[in-house]
Amino acid sequence: MKRRDFFKTSTLASGGFLISAYLPFACNEQMGESESWEPNFYLRVDPDNTITFICSRTELGQGTSVGLAMIVADELGMDFENLKTEFANGAMERYGDLQDTGGSNGLRMLWDPLRKAIATAREIFIVAAAQKWDVEPSSCLSENGFVYHDSSGRKASYGSLIGLAKDLPAPFDIKLKDPSEFKYIGKPVVGERTRMIANGKNPYSINMKQPDMLYAAVARCPAWDGSLIDFDDSKARSFPGVVDVVEVPAVEIQADDFKGGVRSGVAVLATNTWAALEAKKLLEIQWDLGAFSNKSDTDVKNELLAQLDEPRGIIPETREALNLFKRYGKGHSATYCSAYQANTCMEPLNATAYHMGNKIEIWVGSQAPGMFRERISQLTGIPEAAITIHNLPSGGGFGRRFHADFVEEAVLISEKVRKPVKLTWSREDTLTTSKYHPLCIDHWEATFNRDGKVMAIGYQGSTGSTNGFHPYPYAIPMVHYNNIYEREGRLLPRASWRSVYAHPWALGLECFIDELAYLAKKDPITYRIELLDKAEVVEQLMIPWVGDNLYPQKLKETLQVAREKSNWGDTPEGIFQGVSSISYNTSYCSQVIDLSVQNGKVKVHKVTAVMNCGRVINPSQVESQVAGSIIWGLTAALKTQLTVIDGRVQQSNFDSYDLLRMDETPEIEVHLIQSEDSPSGAGEPAVPGVAPALLNALFAATGERIREIPIVGNSQYSIA
Amino acid sequence: MELNINNQEYSFEAEENMPLLWVLRDLLELTATKYSCGIGQCGACTVLVNGRATRSCSTPVSAALNKNITTIEDTNSNTLLQALKDSWVENDTPQCGYCQSGQIMNALALLSQNPNPTDDEILTAMRGNLCRCGTYPRIKKSIKQVIKTNNTL
Repeated sequence: MKRRDFFKTSTLASGGFLISAYLPFACNEQMGESESWEPNFYLRVDPDNTITFICSRTELGQGTSVGLAMIVADELGMDFENLKTEFANGAMERYGDLQDTGGSNGLRMLWDPLRKAIATAREIFIVAAAQKWDVEPSSCLSENGFVYHDSSGRKASYGSLIGLAKDLPAPFDIKLKDPSEFKYIGKPVVGERTRMIANGKNPYSINMKQPDMLYAAVARCPAWDGSLIDFDDSKARSFPGVVDVVEVPAVEIQADDFKGGVRSGVAVLATNTWAALEAKKLLEIQWDLGAFSNKSDTDVKNELLAQLDEPRGIIPETREALNLFKRYGKGHSATYCSAYQANTCMEPLNATAYHMGNKIEIWVGSQAPGMFRERISQLTGIPEAAITIHNLPSGGGFGRRFHADFVEEAVLISEKVRKPVKLTWSREDTLTTSKYHPLCIDHWEATFNRDGKVMAIGYQGSTGSTNGFHPYPYAIPMVHYNNIYEREGRLLPRASWRSVYAHPWALGLECFIDELAYLAKKDPITYRIELLDKAEVVEQLMIPWVGDNLYPQKLKETLQVAREKSNWGDTPEGIFQGVSSISYNTSYCSQVIDLSVQNGKVKVHKVTAVMNCGRVINPSQVESQVAGSIIWGLTAALKTQLTVIDGRVQQSNFDSYDLLRMDETPEIEVHLIQSEDSPSGAGEPAVPGVAPALLNALFAATGERIREIPIVGNSQYSIA
Repeated sequence: MELNINNQEYSFEAEENMPLLWVLRDLLELTATKYSCGIGQCGACTVLVNGRATRSCSTPVSAALNKNITTIEDTNSNTLLQALKDSWVENDTPQCGYCQSGQIMNALALLSQNPNPTDDEILTAMRGNLCRCGTYPRIKKSIKQVIKTNNTL
């Protein structure tokens, strides 16, 4: 089962996944009154009335922990400043798949169950106080961690009620707060973590220190399919501070590619990180570079392109559209290419593991700590219950920390020395021996009737395997051909990368729609709006990690606002605009990019983005996520790419994989649509639309269709 | 060896060519200064050495002896640093936060030397500090807010 089938459809349909919020009432029979109590897995109340939100989602900088804490504060009726936040350890039995941080769905997936869990806890404390005072629960109310009895003026803290509350069943009638009662939701709130960060106090896992801990660095096989033949560690061992050198066995990548895929390697263990990193360079290693030792990224590209010329099968449900192609013939077609990319989280991958033989403790910033624990159990044979994953805030994740390989590696090394081991990947490791956003080739075609009206479009591309998600809002029938793929296996292993396959999908779709608008001699926004007006609601509710259908009218609204806010069509001389509009996991985002081109140099002046992500919990964080997504998208569309020669990635650090810098960042204007709908995601939806808006603007400026990103290195253009 | 960090003396044993970054992080447990690229390309490890922004990942500890080192852990000797931290909080600037120690220290060096930089001077001074989350707009806003406040004092 694919990982992103987050929860089973049957449990979703029955609302069964809410059970996790209610179960723990049965799990606390041994508590004394002087002890803390967790009325559910999201909340802990201490006898001194300290109230802690236990956040099941990881904080990678996407702000989810703040948004969720705001929901808890509002539902509990307490001051946000008094609510503490702590991150949950990896535990499938407590959170199931709801602990996985991916797909921009933290707030969407927890909005309902979290509110119900917190409201239930609040009501139990009210019932406890009512029993204590022998009054009706309906005559009591709860605020800021206390229960009050209106008419008598009595009050009791939650902490003082633990002894009574912990044995009470939940009342049947749990009322959620009405939005009119929200004190925080919808307002910009700065979380405690921001303060910690500004003072350098955020406890990233890379700061971990345990007694007797060794620091590890690993030299990994530079080609993905290769393996270790032999090594000489005499020079490495003589480096001051080096304690040991051990082999790291390769771990096969699993069918679910979030697991496994540890490369064959050699680990240096030392008394500090620097000694480990330096001594690693002194290892003399012979590698068998494996099946891909002569393969390059251009081979992958050519292989994928060649498959476009082979006879093709289709996804059967799209046969009607294929008949339209048979009737009218192929008209316009275009092929788009997007390069290999790396996540390059600013905090390099790292994990501290202590394999004690009979149990394992791990400190890591993970996007899926529950899944990681399950995986480590599978890998080591130690039962899950004997494995603790302390999940810490991450210095960026963007999908890479959804993959367990770096933790598997740390555990395997610790197993050999029976000591706590902090494994730190060098920046070079994160670029040359990691997992990557794949190179994608995506082909689009259209068929027209005699009047030049588009009758159907077709898609054949490489966005089909894990996490393939193809939101398609337009009222043109579509043929979906079977996917093209690397038939000998991947040259480089895949990692999720902010917005995953929505990135190449949107690149093709939104550029191709632009090309069709041009052929139809229509304004690109008007053309899209006409197609959206004719479109029906797209059913995607049953894709569990998507969670709602796609409403073309919502997408249209973002386009209309973008048209207005960007002064579409009314730009100063020399400034040209391009547009895109995409839906991503039930959020909607339209963007207009303003650019100029002089002497082959492209300068992006402004990006105007309009986002509908349902009810906005924390506008400060959402605005920041949209701006950050745009910078992420611009980096990949303008500048960065990984190339591969003879199985080896050619870029090794920020000198050769140069992210967008402050002086290259355009003005970014973000507009949020006011909505009463349930919140949906904000961390990724603004990524996929950047590249097509950029290329469409470049066409407006030059009349030339560039269909490959990044434009630097793949076109005649450079950046100003 | 001895280092003066944030007006405090620290004693330790280290190889002379060990980068200042790793002395701070691994030996002295001053972990607010961050490792990210190791080659002075990203600025996450920025500290001040005698008031100048310095990439501690590529500065051997021997080059920092007998000099005043300031890291983001400095809490009481520098009102400008405090103003920057406050501005960072007020503007909700960080996302993951990992690069922000370096961003703040780099901004501190800039404003210490040039209290009233132009927009272009800010961009030039800050272009060596990468942020993968893309918080540049808010970093710029935070710096400008401090400049504005200082000018109206």
